[in-house]
Parts: sequence; structure tokens; C-alpha cells
Amino acid sequence: MTALSPSAPAVPAGSGPWQLARAELRRRASVKISLAVVALFLLMAAGAPLLSSLGGWSPEEFDKSAVDPYLGGQPIGPLGGISADHWLGVEPVTGRDLFARVVHGAQVSLLIALTATAIVVLAGTAAGIAAGYFGGRTDAALSRLMDVTMSFPSLIFMIAMMSVAKDVNRVLLMTAVIGLFGWPGVARVVRGQTLSLKHREYVDAARVGGSGPWRILTRDILPGVSGPVIAYTTLIIPGMIATEAALSYLGVGVRPPTPSWGQMIAESVAFYDTDPMYFVIPSTCLFLTVLAFTLLGDALRDVLDPRSGRA
Amino acid sequence: MNKRTCTAIAAVLTATFALGAAGCSGGKPAAGGKNGGKNPAAANVGASIGGTPVKGGTLTVLSNQDFTHLDPARNWVMSDMDFGTRLLYRTLVTYKAAPGTQGGQLVPDLATDLGTPSNGAKTWTFHLKQGVKYEDGSPVTAQDVKYNVERSFSPDLPGGSDYAARYLAGADGYQGPAQGKHLDSVQTPDDHTIVFELRKPFAEFPNATVMPTFAPVPQSQDKGPQFDNRPFSSGPYKVDSYDRGKKLVLVRNDKWDPKTDEVRKAYPDKLVVVMGLKANQIDDRMIASQGADASAVPWFALRPESAAKVLPSAEVRSRLLAESQNCTDMVQMHTGRAPFDDVKVRQAVQYALDKDAVLTASGGPAFNDLSTSYMPASLFGGKQPDTLKISASGDVEKAKQLLKEAGKPDGFSTRITVSAGDKGRAEAIQQSLGKAGIKVTIETVDPSAFYATIGDTKNRTDMVYTGWCPDYPSGSTFLPFVFDGRYIKEKGNSGNHSLFRDEATMKRMDEIAAMTDTKQAAQAWQQLDGDILAKAPTVPVLTRRWPLVLGTNIAGAYGHNSFGGQLDYATVGLKDPAKSQG
Amino acid sequence: MILYIGRRLLGVIGVLIAIAAVTFTIFYVLPSDPAAAACGKSCSVERLAAIRTHMGLDQPLWRQFADFVTGIFTGRTMGSGQYTLHCAFPCFGYSYENSQPVWDLLMDRLPVSASLAVGAAVLWLLLGLSAGVTAALRKDTVTDRVLMVGAVAAASLPVYFTSMMLIYGLIRTAGLLPYPQYVPFGHDPLHWASNLLLPWLALAVLYAAMYARQSRSSMIETMAEPYIRTARAKGLPRRTVVVKHGLRAGMTPILTIFGMDLGGLLAGAVITESIFGLPGIGRLFYGALSTGDQPVVLGVTLLAATFIVVANLAVDLLYAVVDPRVRY
Repeated sequence: MTALSPSAPAVPAGSGPWQLARAELRRRASVKISLAVVALFLLMAAGAPLLSSLGGWSPEEFDKSAVDPYLGGQPIGPLGGISADHWLGVEPVTGRDLFARVVHGAQVSLLIALTATAIVVLAGTAAGIAAGYFGGRTDAALSRLMDVTMSFPSLIFMIAMMSVAKDVNRVLLMTAVIGLFGWPGVARVVRGQTLSLKHREYVDAARVGGSGPWRILTRDILPGVSGPVIAYTTLIIPGMIATEAALSYLGVGVRPPTPSWGQMIAESVAFYDTDPMYFVIPSTCLFLTVLAFTLLGDALRDVLDPRSGRA
Repeated sequence: MNKRTCTAIAAVLTATFALGAAGCSGGKPAAGGKNGGKNPAAANVGASIGGTPVKGGTLTVLSNQDFTHLDPARNWVMSDMDFGTRLLYRTLVTYKAAPGTQGGQLVPDLATDLGTPSNGAKTWTFHLKQGVKYEDGSPVTAQDVKYNVERSFSPDLPGGSDYAARYLAGADGYQGPAQGKHLDSVQTPDDHTIVFELRKPFAEFPNATVMPTFAPVPQSQDKGPQFDNRPFSSGPYKVDSYDRGKKLVLVRNDKWDPKTDEVRKAYPDKLVVVMGLKANQIDDRMIASQGADASAVPWFALRPESAAKVLPSAEVRSRLLAESQNCTDMVQMHTGRAPFDDVKVRQAVQYALDKDAVLTASGGPAFNDLSTSYMPASLFGGKQPDTLKISASGDVEKAKQLLKEAGKPDGFSTRITVSAGDKGRAEAIQQSLGKAGIKVTIETVDPSAFYATIGDTKNRTDMVYTGWCPDYPSGSTFLPFVFDGRYIKEKGNSGNHSLFRDEATMKRMDEIAAMTDTKQAAQAWQQLDGDILAKAPTVPVLTRRWPLVLGTNIAGAYGHNSFGGQLDYATVGLKDPAKSQG
Repeated sequence: MILYIGRRLLGVIGVLIAIAAVTFTIFYVLPSDPAAAACGKSCSVERLAAIRTHMGLDQPLWRQFADFVTGIFTGRTMGSGQYTLHCAFPCFGYSYENSQPVWDLLMDRLPVSASLAVGAAVLWLLLGLSAGVTAALRKDTVTDRVLMVGAVAAASLPVYFTSMMLIYGLIRTAGLLPYPQYVPFGHDPLHWASNLLLPWLALAVLYAAMYARQSRSSMIETMAEPYIRTARAKGLPRRTVVVKHGLRAGMTPILTIFGMDLGGLLAGAVITESIFGLPGIGRLFYGALSTGDQPVVLGVTLLAATFIVVANLAVDLLYAVVDPRVRY
């Protein structure tokens, strides 16, 4: 979906680059759909308590009447127990409402992924600009740190850190751990961009004009790097969601009974043939979210940062 | 063989993200189901399936894990002990190879009889059979048995049972045979006689000598920690190759003489244990039983998730073993500090707990039985009494009322530590206690660290979920271990995880222990069980089964009562060896 | 060039030591007690102390680390009392869990992970690059659209979902393949491949999708370069232009990513290995982690890091070969 139509649309003269970008984005169907999906899941996450109270079940409430204890806790009824009472059916064994759990799972999964992304982007941009603009020792030290961080087998390390830490807030820890290994990617992109901007005429002009480094960084460099950073950000969100899911899948994620999509998928794998709906529902949510963010990121990158290849 | 051993197994499995049924349970199919009908999983209980095997062929064992230890000095996990003592090494005494309650009987193995007590059961003498040989043809001697007992004390070889340390005189501070130090309390007057001196009279000592600690290891073969990777065989099979975590191949030990062995049948020519497989894939393969899998057996119990694929099919059910493991799972509360120092609060937990929900999380009534008393049904002549008459799904109103009486009308918050495999059960406990206002936070601990964590009485959580199994059918191996306050240790505490210290109970235990009439004693233990239950230090929850679906070509198979329902590897074989793949 | 390689190698060793130090600190400072875990059930205080001494855990942390690092290069003697073990170069210590040298365990599991990674890599390169290049050459056609929609969808599928679908479709329903069970290549190449086909596919679907997307955009960019236009203008056949000039430059960025991906996978695809029950390095790691087997955890981490840095280095060096503009 990276195809960029060569025929430029007629835009009103004098519109800035952001308006151009918006106009370009508005033309794409994939953007509209993926924006809608993202908005849907974000709303779902934000309104999780409200939505699940509409459904009538809290995500942690057992419903023994919905499962058959004699069949290892299989949901009663077709399609994993989908009924007027349980809109998406129930979890086998416990009878917990799948709709409530999926909605609350969205909250946990997206919260972790988005916060981790924010950390990664903030830290990466700061480090990248500093390395690119100041150069010399700062650059050498930061680049070395990036090299070392990128050499860490990150998934292995995340699993290890998650599994040894006990008495801590799991959501916070997971966010921090995921963020810890993500920043060098952004930093590299930003550093490269900063290096190329550093000696542009307008930056030199500002410098000659007596602007301090802080002013130059915020006024001249930061706006210049923001396009690629926004595109890159959208593209790493799917990775963050997938990482959260992977960690939860491996059983080192959030603490029970808190649901997250990865944790739900992990538990449902054992039922993939006996209760396929239980497996399919959280997997579909994860798939759709990742897909939507990827499409959005593709479009943003094409528009905001047409020259860069994928990082 | 306490619960610890059982759960250690569960622990390892949960590493592969199972909801994990493990542990120990036992006895007859109890009236757990609401339908009051027959348990569909229990049709083969107490029976052997597949008829008599034919000699030859390859038996494949599909496993999701490696053995914890096969070194006899370190082997103290129920299933591993079954595998080790039935196939690779012999012990002084062992369990009879028979299904049902007969499996609890002791028979001589290396020894000629079950041992001769003297000095008021403080001294025990065993004579070894003639003609028992190792895999290199050298004879098994009494000195080798003594040597293995000694090496079980070595700090280089941790993990084994502590029976020798508990019972042998002069064992305190002994650190193994390094620098030529030996235990004076084990004497070998000649090559075929071994004498144990105990610290106090112990009439049931032969029961302890079934442990792998009492298997022979010649000093010349001892390679320390490496011995674990290649135990030296005195049994019917020897190790051909052992790729840790991947594959173990056993082949016949030609030097083993069946005439000296009344227990082991050694039907297959070869045993191949394939490890590290995915648990649900093992279940699926066993249910399908296609091709070479027809000659396979699973190592670990069926996942509760697979029940829906097994129970509806009469054909698969006919290949299902589901012996009880004879252990009671309990929610244990720290009676030594607030809020559980108040008996009303503990009773509130007793009433609030929805055992039915825990049972479902554990695989449902087909693979578990509800517990209404502490000691398993086998110690009550087959059926546990229900003295409290609390509904199986709990009584929240009564619990709330008890909390009010205890001055906690709004409930309270507490934490429970569970082994990772018990997560599903813990969530059911959390949910049901929450209804009565008791907010529970779950701490899951990896099985390998579980006992160390809950054994630290100062830092542990107020609640733990764990159980206990009697070592042999006597109340003396259950209640004193779980409820005698004098056994509590600050660190490394085991058994009494409620830290229950009740003068009346301890006095009564001493009285019963002194009884000579076993029938009278058994009744007294049963009575005491109910008395303790009224004081509510722990809540008995359920007894698990050990469900195994076997391949269609498997014969001579039954779950052994004394090995927690694990398949008896002494007798299992194939119907048609030609069908197996070598 | 040699100077450059030398400098890079020094850098590699520095990075590895840094990683070892961080790993070491994390696992040894955190409140887990491998001695208590080894001692297990009803462990007396004296026995625990003896075990701790035997494991060397009574030493200060820096000392343990120094011993560990020197041990890698010189080997060392471990244990106390009756059983001392000499652990030869390269010594990563002994597993607490099964008393085997960590190095042996790693080398025992490596073929599994390597088979998985290399087989999957071949598949995803074939699938991904051909899809990507096809799409690039037919930019904005229906073929391009279909390929790219497929790729973005496949890249969004969680690997556990793909795996379970494959297991269900190809094993459970169709019965075409066996349940994966590792067979060494030297033992029986055919069984090796048939057992690994499913895990290969599961991994390859995910990566092929990413590679298709990457190679497409890279190809499009290259084909727009002036020198390609020149070559075409010279009247060179299209095939020559694409293969000789386009592919060579267009694939250079892919090389970087490929190096990183393969390096990461060689040290174990934790999720794929655990879904299919393959006894690779990822499972070894996961198992060791849950039993607190720190020497193994440390060993796997170092091995994985080594693969990653070496892959990076190899990629940088290969650049010089592939891309004539790069010189050292």
C-alpha cells in the first residue's frame, strides 16, 4: 500500500506542508479505514468500564452456568457460548465474559504499547538530536550506547527482566522494559536527519543571528525532524503491540486476572480446536489493530517522509 | 512423598504455560459431581488395561519436560522415582507391581525380606539377594547401598529425599563421603548385610527404604553431579544415550537377572523418552494414536483443556487411566498473625470459598474430587466425611456474617502465593473470596522456587495454596506433618504452612502416636481430622487425579497408587511389538 | 581494511563484556536464590550454606563476575570437596539444573535453532524478495496491489496465530505433516525437513511479508536512479538492467535487515520454538529462566548477543563487496 499516485492533486496555492499532507492523506481509502479501526479500538480501550457494564459483566466475574465442568470447562452453546447474555461468548473453564475481557484487554495492551512508544520517541528524539547536533564526544558516547543497546537480544532480555522482577507494577515495568530497547531506532533516524539539517542555510543563519543552541534545536531542528519521527512512530506502534502480546503470551506479562490480548491468546491456544472462537476473537483484535497502525504508518511515511526507506 | 514432590512435577510443566494439572490425589471416585452419576474418567480405576504385553518392541514416552534428577541420591519427584526405580536401579524394598490398593504393599527388592527390626525398632537389618548385578556384570554389594546413602548428604548432590537425614543416628552435620568420612550408623558386616541405626524407634522404616536413596551406587562409578546424566544401572535397562532436555534412550541391561526380581517385567526391548514436546500436541497425538504413536505413552498428565476431546469418546476413554493422586490441595492461612489469627476470619474463608469453581479450573469433576476433610479418602476407608456441611459453591452470606463478627464488616485485602501451574485455581479462589469482601492478590512463583518462597515464614504471604500427600496409608504421615506446631521452621518450613500451633491438637497427636492398636489409632486420626477442621487453619479444596491417555498398542498399563497415579513402568509393554518403530 | 576489522572486533568484545556485566548484575542482584532452589524441599540451614559455598555464591559479586569472564578464556575448576569439575575453554560454567557444561548445552541446542532460522530464512528470502521485486517492477498494477495487501496483512498476523492455523490445517485436518519433532540433519535429511517445514512456514510468512514490503520500496527507489535510466537508455536489455544493476543496489538495504534478523533468530525464536515444541536455544533459555538456572541464562544471552554483533559486523563488511560505493 505504499503506492503513491504520481498525479498530484490540485491544492490551493499557498498551503503549508501540513495542509498538503492532510489533503494527500484524505485521498486514501486505506487511511480512512485504518483511522476508523484505530479510533474504534482506542475508544474501546478508553471506554472499557462503560462498555463492559453495558454488556453486564465485569472482566473478572466467573459465570459457572456458562461452562460445562464435565467437559473440562467447555462453554455451553455454539460458537464458544455466544448468546444475548455473553456477546462474544465466554472463556472456557471460568466462564468469564469474553466481550468484557477483550475490551479491558484492549485497554491494557494499547496503554502499554502507546506509553512505551511515547517513551521510545521522546528518548530517541532527544538522544538523536543531541548526538546529531552537538557531535563530537556527545555523538560518540550516544552512538556507542545505541550500538550496545541494539546488540542486546532484546526479546530474550525483556523476558528475563519481566520474569525476575516480582513485587512491582507489571504494567509499568512492561512499559519501561519495552521502551528501554526501542529508543535507538528513533535516535538513529533523528540523528541522521539532524546531521543533514545542521548545516542548512537557515540553521546557519539562526546561528549567526545569535540564537542559542536550545533555541536552534527547538525552533529550527525539531520541526525539521518531526515529519520522519511521526511516520516512524506510527510504524513502531504495531511492533510495540506485538511485543506486549509476545511477553504476555510467554507468561511474563500482566498479573492475573488482568486481561491483555497477548495473555488471552496465550491461554486460548490450548483451546484452539475445542473452542476456536476463544482463540479467534483476541487474535482478530490484535491482527486488526496491528494492521491498521501499519497502514496508517505507511501512508504517513509516504506523505511526511517520502525519501526515507524503512528503518 | 509429600505434596512437595508432587508439585515439583507440576512446576516443571507449567514452564510450558499449561493451566497445569499436577499434584497428587487418590482413592475412590468420590461423590464430587452434581449429577451424582458415575465419573466418566474413572472407568479404569484400579484396573490394568490392554491385557498382558508381549515381550519386545520399543515403548515411546512423550514428554514435555526433562527429568528433574535420575541420580538416585537426588531423585525425589514422584514420577521420576517411578521411572528410576522401576527401570534403572533397584532399592532395598519397593512397591508391589499391581493396580489399585495392592500397589501400596511393600515387597523386597534388593533385600531378601522387608527388613528385621531389633532394639525396639531402632536397629534395622537387611540381607541382600545373591546374584544381583550391575550393567557391567559386577555384583551389587551392601557397601554400595551404604555409599549412595552417604552421597545423598553431599552438598554437591542436592535435591534428594531427606529420609536418611531424618532417621539415621549421628547424621547431623554429615556432609557426604568426601575425605573418607563415613556414617557410623550404617554398618555393612559383610557384602550382603546392611544395618541401619536410627535415632528413635521407627516401625515404618521399610517404607522409607523404597526411596531411591536406598539404591546401590558403587564408589568407582560415582561421577558426582555428572552421575545424573548417566546413572549406572542395576535394573532391567541401562542408559544408551541421554541428550538432556531432548531424548533419553534405554536399552536392555543383559546382566539383570529376572530370577532375582519379582517386580519388574521388562517387556519392551527399548524405551525412548522424547522430551521438550508441546503438552497439547502430546495430548492430540495420544488421542489420535496414529502410526508409531500407538506404541507411545504420555509422561505427564492430560491437560484439563483436552478433556473435551477425551471424555465424549468411548474409544479414547477406554485408553484413559485416571488414578487419584491421594493428596489434598489446601488453602493454608498464616494462623500466626493478623488477620488470620482470628478463627472467625479463617472460617469466613472456609465458607466463602467456591470449591466448585476451583474444581472446574482444575479440569472438572472428571479429573478431580472435592475434599471435605484434610486426609484423603483412602485414610477414611474410601470416603471423606463432610463434618461442616458447607455447600460446594460456598456460602457468601455466612462468610460475610462471620467477617462482621470478627470486626471486619468491610472485608480486608490479603495475598496468596501459588505455584505457576496453579494460576487458574488461584483465580477461582480470588474470585470467590472477593464476593465476600476478601480482596486477594495472586503471587505466582515458579515451581522451582515455590517451596523456598513459602518456606520463608517471615516474608511469605498470608495465604498459600499447596497440599500434602500421605507417604503410606497412615494418618501419622499426614496430620502431624501438616498441623504439628513443633515442626515449624523459620526458613525452609514445609508441611505446616498454616503455622498452626494448637496445644490440644499436639497433645492428642502424641497420644495417638503412642497407640498400639492400629485400628483404634486410625479412628482417632479420623476424629482429630474433624476437630482440626473446626479450627479452620486451612481449607481442604480438592484431590487431583492423574489422567493419562495411552496409545492403542499399549498393554499391561495401570496408574500406580504409590506413585501418585503415574504409569507403573515395571509392567507396561506393547500388545504387538512389531507395530512399534525402533 | 584489516585495521578496520581489528577495530570492529575490539568493539565487539567490548559490547559483549558490557552485556555480560549487565546480565550478570540483573540476575545475581535480584532476590532469587539458586542455592535454595537447588536444595529444594525441606532444606536445612547448614546444607543451604554448604551448597552456596559449592556454587561459589558466597563470593562477592565482582569476584564472581571476574571468575566468570576469565573462565571463558582460560577455563576453570569448579566445585569443592569430593567432586571438582574442570571446565575447559570456552567455559561458561555448569548448569545448576542438570550439571552439564553450559557450552555443551548451547552447542547441543544450536543446530535446532540454526536449522529453524536458516530454513525459514531461505524460504522468506525466496518468497519475500520475489514478491517485492515483482511488485516493484509492476508498480501500480493489480499484481502490485494484491501482493502488497497480502504482505501487509501477513505481516500483521501474530506468529502464534499463523502457527496454530498451520498446525490445524496441515497436521490435524489434512494429516500431511507430522507433529514437529526435531530430527538432526545428519541423521535423516528428509525427516529433518519434513519436521521443520511447518515452523519454517510459520516464521517465513511473517518475515516474507516484511521483506516483500521492504524490497519493493527499495527496488522502486533504485529503479528511479539516474544510472539505471542511463543503462536503459544505452539499450541494455531490461533483464540485465534489473538483475545486474537494479537488484544489486536495491538489495543492499535488505542486507542490513537480513543480518539483524538472522542474527537474532539464530539464538532462538522463543515463541516459535515453544509453539512447536522444538528443543532449541529459545526453549533452553525459557526453561532455564523459569528454574533460575542462571549460568544457562547468562550463556544464552551472551550467545544471542554474539550472533547479533557478529551479524552486524558481517553485514558492514559485505556492504563493501555488494556496494561499490562503500570503502573502508
